[in-house]
Amino acid sequence: MCAEVMIRVNNLSKSYGDLQAVDQVTFNVQAGEVFGLLGPNGAGKTTTLEMMEGLRQPDEGEIYIGGQAVHKHPERVRPLIGVQLQSTSLFDLLTVEEIFKLFASFYASSLPLEAVLERMNLTEKRTSLVKTLSGGQKQRLAIGLALLHDPAVLFLDEPTTGLDPLNRRALWDVVNGLKKDGKTIILTTHYMEEAHALCDRLAIMDQGRVIALGTPDELIASLHMESAIQFTARINKADFSTLRGVTKVLHQGDQVTLYTSKLQESLTDLIRWADTHQINLLQLQTRQATLEDVFLHLTGRSLTEE
Amino acid sequence: MKGYWQLTLAQLKLFARNKTVIFWTTFFPLLLMVVLGYFLGDGGSQVKLQLGWVDYDRTPASLELKEAIGLQGGFNIEDFEDNEGQAKEALKEGELSVVLVVPQGYGAALAEEEVAPPLSLFYDEVDQSEAQLSFALLEKAVDDLNKQLVHFEERISYEKIGIKATHLTYIDFLVPGIVALMIMSSNMNGVAAQIASWRERQVLRRFKISGVKARTFIAAQITARMLLNITQSILVLFVGIYLLGAQMNGSWLLLLFYIVLGILVFLSIGFIIAGLSKTPEHAAPVAGFISFPMFFLGGIFFPISEMPSFIQPLVYALPISHLSDALRQVMNIGYGLVELWLPTLALLLWFIASFTISALVFKWE
Repeated sequence: MCAEVMIRVNNLSKSYGDLQAVDQVTFNVQAGEVFGLLGPNGAGKTTTLEMMEGLRQPDEGEIYIGGQAVHKHPERVRPLIGVQLQSTSLFDLLTVEEIFKLFASFYASSLPLEAVLERMNLTEKRTSLVKTLSGGQKQRLAIGLALLHDPAVLFLDEPTTGLDPLNRRALWDVVNGLKKDGKTIILTTHYMEEAHALCDRLAIMDQGRVIALGTPDELIASLHMESAIQFTARINKADFSTLRGVTKVLHQGDQVTLYTSKLQESLTDLIRWADTHQINLLQLQTRQATLEDVFLHLTGRSLTEE
Repeated sequence: MKGYWQLTLAQLKLFARNKTVIFWTTFFPLLLMVVLGYFLGDGGSQVKLQLGWVDYDRTPASLELKEAIGLQGGFNIEDFEDNEGQAKEALKEGELSVVLVVPQGYGAALAEEEVAPPLSLFYDEVDQSEAQLSFALLEKAVDDLNKQLVHFEERISYEKIGIKATHLTYIDFLVPGIVALMIMSSNMNGVAAQIASWRERQVLRRFKISGVKARTFIAAQITARMLLNITQSILVLFVGIYLLGAQMNGSWLLLLFYIVLGILVFLSIGFIIAGLSKTPEHAAPVAGFISFPMFFLGGIFFPISEMPSFIQPLVYALPISHLSDALRQVMNIGYGLVELWLPTLALLLWFIASFTISALVFKWE
């Protein structure tokens, strides 16, 4: 597969006063790829996205989308991109169809309304006022508006935040459908299972920096640990790194996470150690390592921590 | 161009579907006008004076006097017979305007063609206006009767020929004021709150991403609000003129010109407030803070000339004063553009200044 680079981001930086919101961010996105920006709130995902959309002028660095230099001519990139903003409350008192017609009027040409409604599963809601839509429907409406002028690149900023699991799944289907249509999609999220399920590649961001970049599987493999053993115990200090197979130990309050490449041996050693020291291991569980662990490993903090 | 029409249309639909906006911008001013017009306007109905009649004489002559007074009109006569105390009590209570006491011997003196003992007229010193009116009416009645008694022949007379003067009532004052008020609150408060809220909810940013130009957006806002406000103003004017009887002595075209000019001035001020305030929670109080003094000082409900003199120069600097003034002069007196050069100039200056500033401070996000 000969991959064409659709987006090139080079050494992008932006600061607000003393806060370095985005710090030397560099990545490329291939055409037709779903690229994720994963990170906790305040990691700089949205600022990065807004600079790529031409809404914010970067302090430093370059952005090219489809060959257009966004940092120099933000308005030239607009026909190429479709944007779904994080907050999507538009006009409560217009109907779905009226909003589509309004936004379609801003472009020289636009997709047929029926096709967009169909794609976003909003055909039945065509004549409903926006205020009567559910959260998931509003989110699909916002994505539909971004699609109207048939852009090659779509930006989705936390499209599933605030949605219940069912609507989240429905939105994943929408994103996957758009990927099949050949759209290049950049999305931000702070749900790692979402990043894993949707993204071809992703950049993990923390405090304005990209701290890891790759396919979800690559990122997990880079930990050199396939499994995690998690438990809670009242212990002052114990050296678990001597247990066989354990590659990394994380303490978060009473909770201990041991990463291991040899699950059975580490577990056997752990149980023996607990017996010897007469320590009760509570909530003992083992699981596959996830992107959450990658983040934890890189920053020492949990993704969902505030 | 397509975008401009669609934005205008969308804004009009938003107006039409927002019941709160319709109530506060259309029905509230209408209601205010009708209520104030009925309560404060004189409505042409004359108040009848109450006269307490105390008669110690009870002769045909005193009855003749009572009839003569009755013929004057303007008095409701209540007969207390010889119960003077009760009549005076009623006067103190405010139930009567005046009490007229006819002494005993009045009829007898007249029959002898002598000077009758004087009548006593008691009045409320506090309520001078009712008393003065009563004096005038009674004097006329007594005068007529005197002339009759001495067989007076008029040598000089005059004929009263009524011409229509511009007799203005409160409703004539009120209707143009309400139109000015409506233009101010609908545009200034409305546009400031709405734009600030759209900015916060990223609606404006969404427009910007779609390539909407600031001038397209603003032009559509102006068009939609212009259509709405002209309709509202005409509604208020029609109710004021045809239902409440306000006068319209000037040119409708000129009136429309001032309505449009007023809309432009307050729309621009609204855009300035929206541009300077960060959140809708910020914009609404600022708009309120600016409109509140104009509400009371702008000559909407009370003439500016009745305000304390130190405040008047300030009041004349406000655009609302000039707008209500211009509307009032056109409707009440029928002035033209030439006579109204001052408010016209003031409104034009306000428009140019606020439009320039609003264009400078407008921001999408």
